[in-house]
Amino acid sequence: MAVIIRRVEFFLITLWAAVTINFILPRMMPGNPAEAMMAHFQGRLNPAALHALEVAFGVNTKETIWQQYVQYLGDIVHFKFGISLSNFPVPVMHVVMQALPWTLTLAGVTTVISFLLGTLIGMIAAWRRGGIADNLMPPVFVIISALPYFWLGLICIYVFAVTLHWLPSGFGYDEGGNINLSWTFIHQAITHAILPALTIIVTSIGGWILTMRNNMIGTLSEDYVRMARAKGLHPMRIMIQYAGRNAILPNITGFAMALGFVVSGLLLTEIVFTYPGVGYLFLQAVAAEDYPLMQALFLFVTIAVLAAVLLADVANALLDPRIRAR
Amino acid sequence: MSWTTLTRGRLAVPIVTFALVAALLSGTGLSGMGARAASSRSHANVKYGGTVVLDNVGGALWTCGLNPYNGANNFITLGFTYETLVYDDALNGKIQPWLASGYSWSNGNKTLTFTIRKGVTWNDGKPFTAADVVYTFRLLRRNPALDGNGDWQVLKSVSRHGNNVVMNFKKVAVPDFYYVAGQTYIVPQHIWSKIKNPVTYIDSKPVSTGPMVVSKCDQQDIIMMRNPHYWQKGKPYIKELRAPAFLDNGPGNQYLAQGKANWGCQYIPNVNTYYVQGNSNRHWYYAPGSDVDLYPNNSVFPTNIKAVREAISLAIDRRRVSQLGVYGYLPPADQSGIVLPTYSSWYDRSLAKHYNYSYNPSKAIKLLESAGFKRGAGGIFQKNGKKLSLTILGVAGFSDWVAELQQIQNELKAVGINATVSNLSGDTQLSDIQSGHYQLAYYFTGGGPSPYYEMHYVLDSGLTAPIGSTATGDYERWRNSATDSLLNRYAQTTSSATQHAIINELQGIMLKNVPVIPVLEGVSWYQYDTTQLVGWPTRSNEYVNPGCNTPDQEIILLHLHLK
Repeated sequence: MAVIIRRVEFFLITLWAAVTINFILPRMMPGNPAEAMMAHFQGRLNPAALHALEVAFGVNTKETIWQQYVQYLGDIVHFKFGISLSNFPVPVMHVVMQALPWTLTLAGVTTVISFLLGTLIGMIAAWRRGGIADNLMPPVFVIISALPYFWLGLICIYVFAVTLHWLPSGFGYDEGGNINLSWTFIHQAITHAILPALTIIVTSIGGWILTMRNNMIGTLSEDYVRMARAKGLHPMRIMIQYAGRNAILPNITGFAMALGFVVSGLLLTEIVFTYPGVGYLFLQAVAAEDYPLMQALFLFVTIAVLAAVLLADVANALLDPRIRAR
Repeated sequence: MSWTTLTRGRLAVPIVTFALVAALLSGTGLSGMGARAASSRSHANVKYGGTVVLDNVGGALWTCGLNPYNGANNFITLGFTYETLVYDDALNGKIQPWLASGYSWSNGNKTLTFTIRKGVTWNDGKPFTAADVVYTFRLLRRNPALDGNGDWQVLKSVSRHGNNVVMNFKKVAVPDFYYVAGQTYIVPQHIWSKIKNPVTYIDSKPVSTGPMVVSKCDQQDIIMMRNPHYWQKGKPYIKELRAPAFLDNGPGNQYLAQGKANWGCQYIPNVNTYYVQGNSNRHWYYAPGSDVDLYPNNSVFPTNIKAVREAISLAIDRRRVSQLGVYGYLPPADQSGIVLPTYSSWYDRSLAKHYNYSYNPSKAIKLLESAGFKRGAGGIFQKNGKKLSLTILGVAGFSDWVAELQQIQNELKAVGINATVSNLSGDTQLSDIQSGHYQLAYYFTGGGPSPYYEMHYVLDSGLTAPIGSTATGDYERWRNSATDSLLNRYAQTTSSATQHAIINELQGIMLKNVPVIPVLEGVSWYQYDTTQLVGWPTRSNEYVNPGCNTPDQEIILLHLHLK
């Protein structure tokens, strides 16, 4: 129990620090949102528009930075995030909620799949060390994960969408389709997600395979594994319950972090596949110095990662008696 | 996952994504509208129906913020929905009556009177009247945040006299006609007067006068349907217009290449191989609008020395720069500041020939030598112990600019100028340019319906500011009373002859003093596919400024019909 209370205290302090940095950092960037908007339109706007934009965005406000900070903390507590400047005049929450479900589904599902699959492959590879799986899988996936994602994505589009016509080349659903809970839409959403999901899984799985394999090799030389073998237990039971269960412990925190970062989206996937999501919002918010959107997004990621780490700590404490004993 | 991918791949920011808005009105300036009717085609043998798919990368998913005044991503619907009082025809120099059926200048060009067209209705069935026009302008006066064109920097009052709208100007400002009449979109009083805060009004279903009505909008698609009550009877011919959202040029270009869109407005590398693919229905042509300049800071060493600026202009092989940056699609710019061939009727050929700024590195070296510079270490010129070295500000996200500046850097080194390129984020670069904290910067100019607009933007000291304060134009800090009085005189006249004489003198100033260095001519990117629809502006039938300029794109749409 004491462990968990300590973790919660740590969580709250980190959250406050993150929220404060979140406030300070964007304001230390050179330029302002109105200038960023002018730059975004690349000479397309009349120079007089700068003044209009500054008025609309509340640039050059008379409030002191301290007043702004207090206001900001108050707004966060009430989940008020204001209006997005780069998507002016749409409210931040609307912009985020439009993108978040796509990201949570795609990134969430692919993270889980690639963790489970990667762990399994890593486990088998280590178990049959020097076998076909061990010689083939880790190097292949590590090489794939080192390929530029952009290039891989475009190749997949070229092969599966343009040449073979098996899958759509982009977007979250069919052109002209409606977002609702009908079977047609769900079917569309799944077909459109296959290619992005596939590319994410094959590029991210290598890391899981490698770490799991290495952890596993370590645990396989432990005495308790040797004892299990000596007892004549079924090899599957040794692999999963004796070696696997211990080897996965360090990876659980990594997995929790990855789940937390799901909220930050998949920038390159979204760009290559014109897929809706949070990743591009991040880029847009930072490029446009869209403070309200940036603050909301960073806050969500911070909370998600911290919460995931907290949960992982709790899970680790439950799974591993050694942590509780300390 | 995300942050590692973010750092692993290089971020791709759309290359010159937006078509330049610069409507290129050449020729006769603002005199006379003529009696030309807006629609003169016969509809007898035109087939109705068909879908336009517009591929105009916005670099964001649609937010459906279609308010024409608050800087939202509204460019995709302007013209199709909201319309202006007149249309400033980009290429033939004529002004077409639009929501105003006529206009006239009086009171020494300080008063502008519009006759408002009769028989126009809003797409909700309510009649459009002069009251809507007056309401729109007063809305902009009450909300400076909406007045992106700066209409009220020159306007004194706008009032209604029956079917006329009378505008009084603070000072004579004839060129501002372009903004007031050609770029200010009229909104309905009966809707907008009920809106509490027009600045944050989203306006996802505009009530407008234009040929299309927004029927559906989500983050991925904007769908507009034909407005059956459009005031140009029988138009538009097409039934539907769809605009998918693209985050980046890559997928946008691919969509075009797959033939899924029939109207494109992007930079496509190697367009003949990638897009046309030998398909006789696929075409492209890019009309030049306004220059991309090197702005030499006129108040810091070494760009405050005229010989240095001249040498830079002579040392740049503009054609090669364009080849390396954008496959040569941007034509080399002319030191006179006249965009060619768009404004060739304004171009003083003999003057340009006299100064001759065609690529000539040996002449550049001679100029520097006669200005007292001597070759020092590494062949770099120096004078009184000061090395001739400077930093050029570029934008890291524009890969075309990065390549162009690298070439310029090499060419300057070849004539003994030690240039280094500093590629910044777009807004940091703009902020440095505006405040004058730079030596040499690569940046856009502003366009308009005659060469005056670019000249005004780059040369008018009324737009500049001391180093450290924000300039809204004339970033190079060129202060010259002769230039200012020429620009001022241009703004007061509606006579074409006087306008031409003034532009000739301004060309002289550009060539003699080299206050700025035009490098390439910005173009409107434009691709079109005639498989189903015809009526597109073509190289030989440029009835409008091609591309996706606003409101020009409306004119294109009104000409399109099934084969």
